[in-house]
Amino acid sequence: MIQKKVCMVGVYATGKTSLVRQFVHAKFSDKYLSTVGVKIDRKPVQVGGQDVNLLLWDLEGRDGVQDIQTSYLRGAAGVIYVADGTRRETVTQVFELRELVQGAVGAVPEVLALNKVDLADQWIVTSADRANLAQVPWHTFDTSAKTGDGVEAAFQWLATAMVKSP
Amino acid sequence: MNDTPDSTDGEAAPVTTPDPATAEDFAALRALLLSPEQHEIAELRRRLDALGVTAEELAASLPEAIALRAGQDDRLARALGPTLETAFSESVRRNPQQIADAIYPALGPAIRKAITEAIAGLVTTINRSLESSLSIRGLKWRIEAWRSGVPYGQIVMKHALVYRVEQVYLIEAESGLLLSHVTAPDLAAPDADVISGMLTAIRDFVGDSFEPRADGGLRTFSVGDVTVLVEAGPRALLAAVVRGQHPPALLEKLQVTLELIHLRFAGPFARFDGDSAPFDAARPVLAECLETVVDTTRTRARTLVPRVAWLFVFVAVVVGLYAAISAQRRWHGALRALAGEPGIVVLSADRGLRRWRIAGLQDPVARQPMAVLAGLGIDTASVRGDWSPYLAADPPIVARRAARILDPPTTARLSLAGDTLVVTGSAPTDWIDRARADAPRVAGVAAFREVDLTPHLLAALRPMAESIGAQRLFFSPGSATVSASALRTLRDVATEWRSLSVGVGPRWSVTLDVIGRTDTTGSLEVNRMLSDERAQAAVEVLVSLGVPGWALAPRGLGTRDPVPAATVDEQARQNRSVSFAVRLGPGGVRTP
Repeated sequence: MIQKKVCMVGVYATGKTSLVRQFVHAKFSDKYLSTVGVKIDRKPVQVGGQDVNLLLWDLEGRDGVQDIQTSYLRGAAGVIYVADGTRRETVTQVFELRELVQGAVGAVPEVLALNKVDLADQWIVTSADRANLAQVPWHTFDTSAKTGDGVEAAFQWLATAMVKSP
Repeated sequence: MNDTPDSTDGEAAPVTTPDPATAEDFAALRALLLSPEQHEIAELRRRLDALGVTAEELAASLPEAIALRAGQDDRLARALGPTLETAFSESVRRNPQQIADAIYPALGPAIRKAITEAIAGLVTTINRSLESSLSIRGLKWRIEAWRSGVPYGQIVMKHALVYRVEQVYLIEAESGLLLSHVTAPDLAAPDADVISGMLTAIRDFVGDSFEPRADGGLRTFSVGDVTVLVEAGPRALLAAVVRGQHPPALLEKLQVTLELIHLRFAGPFARFDGDSAPFDAARPVLAECLETVVDTTRTRARTLVPRVAWLFVFVAVVVGLYAAISAQRRWHGALRALAGEPGIVVLSADRGLRRWRIAGLQDPVARQPMAVLAGLGIDTASVRGDWSPYLAADPPIVARRAARILDPPTTARLSLAGDTLVVTGSAPTDWIDRARADAPRVAGVAAFREVDLTPHLLAALRPMAESIGAQRLFFSPGSATVSASALRTLRDVATEWRSLSVGVGPRWSVTLDVIGRTDTTGSLEVNRMLSDERAQAAVEVLVSLGVPGWALAPRGLGTRDPVPAATVDEQARQNRSVSFAVRLGPGGVRTP
């Protein structure tokens, strides 16, 4: 059985836990529960007919990026950065966050999830932002943990990328 | 002055001679003087140049050269020593992890071996004292087993002597991914991969939070009676979930297992990219760590020496109890018997620390209490008696007291009927006189009665009575006439009767049976009458001699109860006679 450690990274309240919940349990709750430390969940997926067990490390979202606990990142085979498409600072901080993560895990497949796409009226991501984000070699998905839009696709893409680039 | 330095130092010459012409001369002179030496120098320089082997040439011959040199002496080792030490410490300083990884499989066993040997002696001593002790806890468990009827082994299992390794995880050190996992047979399989991740996360969290020195990290944590032991290696962690009290040896076992896995799976570890399949082969190794263990050192110890000791203790207790109970029983039986003994009253019986104390009343004629107890198997040495005298009214005691006071002859028997002392058998007249007077004075005796009591004469009077009994009056056939010799005999009888009468005293009377007999000639009726006449004739003579009539009892037997004799004639003669028998009677019947 192939197993891959995936870390969910992002500042607080961007929806990391909700994305995992939607992906693993197909559930969503409006209630906000702050994650303390790390929460680990498992989701088996298929990549090219092969079973892959994703171990999703849902890291505590902090206020800033400096105090992220890099020890949780060790051995990660893939990273999902989560930004809140309705809060500008989360989108700008993701670059800084990525630098920190890269230092700990090296070059691994990465996904950027621009979350809360269901809140269209509060959406602040412009095409200029997208161009900016496209500078980074990650795969960007617009996701909604609430409706499930893009969630499956984001995780599946990462799983495939991880299996193909060991 | 100039020559001396030139000849010794050729190179100083050009410096001190600036003129070129002079220099040429000087060179010629030098060639002349020093050419042999210059040749030697040139040759040496050539050889030195020739020695400059290339690195390739050296690499080719280095191993042989080292081996050769090492075979000759240890100078090479000495020369290399400092360099190697420096190189090693430099390497450790630069990249300690690499050295640690390299020597990890060898380091653990070496350290453990040293520690084990150091501690072995101490452990042996502790074990021995543990094994040989009959602990209170063991005793409590045995009592619990005995009371509940549950086997002792299960009681031990129930209590804290058991530990059980329920799960073992092999976890990749960096990512926290589960490599392999085993669970005790009867336990539900948990979400091992998530737990594996969380374990790693917890270790990371603890490591980040408390920043332990060097490679400490979280090794043990407990939840209720469950302890998680974590052994960390360079590439993997081994985590064991243990229920109960685990021995230190378990940690060592985990270490050994982890080292074994590092050795055996060095390749898969190096190539690891998330595929745990190669580590399935580690399952049997992990399974060896799963164990449900009753602390065998202790139970085994109990099965041998202490079990025998327990048996002895048990037997001793049973024997002791039996002895105590039977002693108690014997004692109470003896006390009952003593209380039933005539003439003894037990007032109190107390158990002292080692002795019994009895207090009571004892009649002087009763049996000795100690003798009674001894007869019932009591060790009288451990009994102290405290007896006060009293007079008992028990009939056997009264009879015994009467016997002691009256001291009857062996021919007489005393008994008690109610409060009347009864005497039967026979006794001398003087004893009967004394008994009549003394019996009412014996405590417990109200009256004295003689039943079938035959009085007999005092020893002093007996010859006289015998003499009378031996007297015989002979008669002619068919005649009742007293002859002259018979008359003499009768005088003797009368005299002897008088002596006896005086001898027995006023309370007694002496009566003479006067018995007439005949020979067998003639009819029975005639003979009976003839014997009567003969007895009567003797009586008449005796009366005439002064013997009162009440003292004479004539009786004719005829031919009945004849006197035996050797011949027929002699028998006829002997039976034509009158004889006498002395009888004692109460004096009261005497008539004047």
